[in-house]
Amino acid sequence: MQQQHIPDLKAYREQAVAWLAEHAPRFAGAAREGRSGEEDLQLARDWQALKAKHGYAGITLPREYGGAGRTELEKIVFSEEEMRYDLPLLYFSVSLSNPVPIMLRHAPEDYRRRLGPPAIRGEHIWCQLFSEPAAGTDLAALRLRAERRGDGWVLNGQKVWTSWAQVADWGVVIARTDPTVPKHAGLTYFFLDMKTPGITVRPIRRLVNEPDLNEVFFDDVFIPDVQRLGGVGQGFKVAVETLMIERYAVTDESGYGPTLEAFVELARHSRINGRPALEDGEVRTAIAQAFVERQGLRSIHRRAVTAMAAGKEPGPEGAIRKLLLGRTRQRLGALALDLRGANGARFNPDASQVTDFARSWMDPSLRIAGGTDEVLINTLAERILGLPQDYRPDKGLPFNQS
Amino acid sequence: MNENEDYAMVREQAQRFLNDAMDPEYLRALLEAPGSFDGRTWASVIEFGWPAIAVAEEHDGLGLGWRGLCVLAEESGRKTASLPLVPSAVAAQLIFAHADRAVHQEDGAALVSGARYACLALARTDDAGLADPPELHLRGALLHGTSALTPFAASADYALVAAQDGETFSLLLVALAQPAVSRTPSCAIDNSRAAAELSFDGARVRVLATGNEARTAFWRAASLAALATAFEQIGGAQTCLEMARDYALERKAFGQPIGRFQAIKGKLADMYIRIELARGCALDALAALEQGDPSWLGLAASARVAATDAYEVSARENIQTHGAIGVTWEALPHHHYRRSRALGIELGAAIMWRERLLAESGFASAA
Repeated sequence: MQQQHIPDLKAYREQAVAWLAEHAPRFAGAAREGRSGEEDLQLARDWQALKAKHGYAGITLPREYGGAGRTELEKIVFSEEEMRYDLPLLYFSVSLSNPVPIMLRHAPEDYRRRLGPPAIRGEHIWCQLFSEPAAGTDLAALRLRAERRGDGWVLNGQKVWTSWAQVADWGVVIARTDPTVPKHAGLTYFFLDMKTPGITVRPIRRLVNEPDLNEVFFDDVFIPDVQRLGGVGQGFKVAVETLMIERYAVTDESGYGPTLEAFVELARHSRINGRPALEDGEVRTAIAQAFVERQGLRSIHRRAVTAMAAGKEPGPEGAIRKLLLGRTRQRLGALALDLRGANGARFNPDASQVTDFARSWMDPSLRIAGGTDEVLINTLAERILGLPQDYRPDKGLPFNQS
Repeated sequence: MNENEDYAMVREQAQRFLNDAMDPEYLRALLEAPGSFDGRTWASVIEFGWPAIAVAEEHDGLGLGWRGLCVLAEESGRKTASLPLVPSAVAAQLIFAHADRAVHQEDGAALVSGARYACLALARTDDAGLADPPELHLRGALLHGTSALTPFAASADYALVAAQDGETFSLLLVALAQPAVSRTPSCAIDNSRAAAELSFDGARVRVLATGNEARTAFWRAASLAALATAFEQIGGAQTCLEMARDYALERKAFGQPIGRFQAIKGKLADMYIRIELARGCALDALAALEQGDPSWLGLAASARVAATDAYEVSARENIQTHGAIGVTWEALPHHHYRRSRALGIELGAAIMWRERLLAESGFASAA
């Protein structure tokens, strides 16, 4: 970790709390109800612009490109406080966490100055074109072809699961430039204008009403070589750097579902064969277990922040957070619906996942996106506990022979 | 764990000493006979001042607080040392908080020096919870009744007990070396806990507190013990995880270490997750206790629930990872299997602490 000045976090938090209390309600919760997707996106852009005006957008990004030039700790503090409101943050969650920061590290200076500020103000959205039909967890297995032509590259193939590609102005993309070398070595990383001819974005309908995911098709899409990030054949390294950029992301402690308090409130008003549900041992165990998990994760989070404030690396135990949040959200959701009895089967597709248990239960994607539970478990066992890596039959083989 | 140098030194000394002292052959011998007390190790740790660690300097303690005790408990747990550090520290706390000066100087000082040690007879014979209401009785200031199986009671000098004096809840310290007290050691899951039943037939007692004050002190004592024991459980669980990891790296099947199989990886990752959650709960409870935050009682209950779970699962799945060798007398996993169950039972089952957690965090009552 770079030595940064240790900021006065308490004062920073107080300022953030006051600022959010003044401005956030106009953009959050009830203010979002009944809005169309487009209107919600506009609200999100307005919120982003307001934050940028007051130095709360792109908090860790350099000032010369429109960021606030502050420390990671200040960003964590602001995120913790901002997360208390149901704000429209999701449209920018990918854009400003990964693609924009990596572009600002590796793109030519004129691009950084031109593209940084509008991205941070919320005028532009960036997407991250990584996953493919045959490359999710195993990203280096990707097939999108990039071939040299003149002073640039021509891309052909497909990406999938791309969040907000349909509203993105720019994107970062990783493609295969050499299929004759082992899979990790043949990749190159670019950024591109999403309005480039040959790009087709098709929405993916999810089991819940979320319009975030897309397929993106590339049909002779030209990218100038000046838009390459990192060396030819260095794409995997840049991709890993992209994913690591946000060393410590603050995530909602209820996995973006209803809170434990909401579950207890529901149980308090539910009955099982005429008896209060809250007297049932299984219900009580579920509450205690969720409490223990939340308390343990709060402690781990606080320790990580304390470590960073002292200029140290946070411990590896932060890795268990996503694994627990996704499963607990799903489990408590199912139990909440059980407690409602037959009426638990009612479903309002437009309800908020933050307040509605059926809507929350209906979306298991937290257990999949950004690393499935199963992959996270393997990674934990290998990286933290030091167990040997799974057998990889394609290791060291040229991509086109494996 | 965020520790200053004092605690780091205590931890290092404990590790160095216990590494040598907790010889597997010696540990196995302790398991052979009912009511085995590890007097050899106790004699050594008295020299180091361990019984004085949590006691304030004004009472000739080391003044390292409950955090110091928790460090020793964690390191003891790692090596399955079975020492009455927690019961003695809890009894000393109560004496210095509730008894008069004469008792400080006699019984308190004996506990601080380690010349004598205490057991906590807080359980009931007919309940998974603790003795609130008590089942022992005071009649004419003399104690009557029989306790549930109590760790260290086979040889302890004192017992902390709760008794009913008519309608009044009383918290008592009983010197066990008197004719009206008899001990019945029992063959147990973990014989090195020196467990015995205590029978009182008109025993003389010191009354530490009565009524509401006594009940509050009783639960404070139980929660302090549960918190330090949570660290002991976490230490034990951590050793199980390390033992299982080492074996998974060393043992081969089908031409590869079994640690490459996902079923083993998943098992070990699960142990790790439970341990880290328990550690988080325990550290938060300890911090709240140190800050005088009354939420520490609920957090101690959550630490107890989480640490019991972490140790149970880790001890059980460590044996499973070892396969057949894990069920042999010579291999170490059964020491933790025994200890995890003993510690999980001794201070009231996790189901009871679940109720404490819910009550203390305001989640208890139905509409």
